[in-house]
Amino acid sequence: MTPPLLVARDLTRRYGAVTALDALTVDVDAGITGLVGANGAGKSTFIKILLGLVEPTSGTAALAGHDVCTERDAIRALVGYMPEHDCLPPEMSAAEFVTFMARCSGLPANAARERAAEVLRHVGLFEERYRPMGGYSTGMGQRVKLAQALVHDPRLLILDEPTNGLDPAGRDDMLALIERTGREFGMSVLVSSHLLGELERIAERIVLIEAGRLVRAAPVGVLTGETGTLVVELDADAATLDAFVTGLASRGLAVRLDRQRVLVDIPDGADPAQVAHVHDAVRDAAVACEAGLLRLERRRGHLEDLFASAAA
Amino acid sequence: MSDPTATIHDLGYRRYEGPRDGARGAFDALVWQGIRTMFGIGRPFKAKSVPVFVIVVTMLPALATLTAASASGGQMPVPYGILIAPQLLLFVLYGAAQAPEMLSRDQQHRVLPLMLTRDVTRGQYASARLLAMFTAMFVVCLAPLLLLYIGEISIAKQPTAAFARMGGKIGPVLLHATMTAWVIAGVSAALASLTARRAYATAAVIGVFLVVAAITTGLNELAGLPDGVTALLDPIQALRTMALMLFGETTRGMELTPPPPLPLFLVVLVALGAAGAAGLVWRLRRVDL
Repeated sequence: MTPPLLVARDLTRRYGAVTALDALTVDVDAGITGLVGANGAGKSTFIKILLGLVEPTSGTAALAGHDVCTERDAIRALVGYMPEHDCLPPEMSAAEFVTFMARCSGLPANAARERAAEVLRHVGLFEERYRPMGGYSTGMGQRVKLAQALVHDPRLLILDEPTNGLDPAGRDDMLALIERTGREFGMSVLVSSHLLGELERIAERIVLIEAGRLVRAAPVGVLTGETGTLVVELDADAATLDAFVTGLASRGLAVRLDRQRVLVDIPDGADPAQVAHVHDAVRDAAVACEAGLLRLERRRGHLEDLFASAAA
Repeated sequence: MSDPTATIHDLGYRRYEGPRDGARGAFDALVWQGIRTMFGIGRPFKAKSVPVFVIVVTMLPALATLTAASASGGQMPVPYGILIAPQLLLFVLYGAAQAPEMLSRDQQHRVLPLMLTRDVTRGQYASARLLAMFTAMFVVCLAPLLLLYIGEISIAKQPTAAFARMGGKIGPVLLHATMTAWVIAGVSAALASLTARRAYATAAVIGVFLVVAAITTGLNELAGLPDGVTALLDPIQALRTMALMLFGETTRGMELTPPPPLPLFLVVLVALGAAGAAGLVWRLRRVDL
């Protein structure tokens, strides 16, 4: 069996008194993985350790079975890095810059030029690529940054906040580009963001870190699956709604009123029969107060809830 | 390079299966890109201004002298040392202006961390940039001397005889250019790597050379430091005195108090450049990303 793409064990990094990464242990398989955390949660530190730019204070990490501290040479060709910060010399053209980056990865001059032209076309930069990058828009700049990460044909792309500073349209384009890169080019992608919504759209897996610690690592499907809350909407006025809530509460259910919706808690670990029993209770209560039942469904989880539960 | 613009095909993503030259290729690329930056090649006109200015201005006196010597039928001696001595400050200006173009910019635009995730280590980066810096400086420092040398031979009535007589002069020409380039490259590269701000770096390089010159002159005049020691302590003065000695020329001051022997100059200058190189490596090992 091939080792997981990324393995981190008790990864810790301290900057003086500040602990940026606190015993992070996580396994990540191939595919598109979202690395989520608030600003300062340790995402960038984690990425820099994987890239060998920062040494861990303790603990180990490995990419494709190669230790990030001791086997740097094996990792260099495997990884493409798109940094969070600006990294484009304004007086250079995109073509020259990406070619130079390819050469820094050891590609011969001609191959570097060809690859640069190819990846720049992939990210959607055509004639502009011969102009100095100082005149580029943020969106174009982000595309060049992605192109330079792709140019040496890595197996793993590490993208640090790729949608930073983009307008909504640019954000959509960038996410689509990343998704395409991951799905069609067969590359694994580790993409960090502080915005869950966008990662929900493209990632297969989410790794959530908070204050340098792992909160959760799971497939997006699991994280956004059904939750233990039943959402009920009624065609009723406020008085009827109150009566409905009182009626449900008298049947021994935990009920909350959320504006026009009624939220009913289903106990953790309830079996189908118990869930059906709750459904019946809701129906009976609605009948009892003569309110029309508009909607009755299990609420689906949002990744935002992860943050709420992490903070709690 | 041709683009198939008639039709737009999305060829899909193609893997790169070709050769990878690894660290060796990356080193070459860094040196080349560094030399291009040092001369402003492939950059806007503004980036070329200092290199072009320094090269032209330092070669003009050589050209003028050659013209005069040619008019006098090769009778007028061509003074290498006296001509190159005033150009030394211009070489410092070149190093001060261009070293930050190459080294501070990589930090300012944060390209350095990007390179370090590729086949470039901190040590390789430092040595590649130093090599680029030295090569460019060497070309600039050599140009006026080489012009004098080739010119002096070609304007002679019998170039072959002139070559036979002064062919060996190429040694001092190369040695002086090497020493000048080594000292200025080492010191300015080390100072430029300290800061991401180009203006500070430029000011620091010029400042260090001028302040050292001022201090040694002050020590010489006020504290009675011997001329010989002053000539060694101030790199510009050391290069100037060495030029005169190498080309067998002298000034009245040198006649009154003979300077220290030539090998001592070489040792001091080599050590100074090496200190700069070591400083560059030291700094780049520690710079935060």
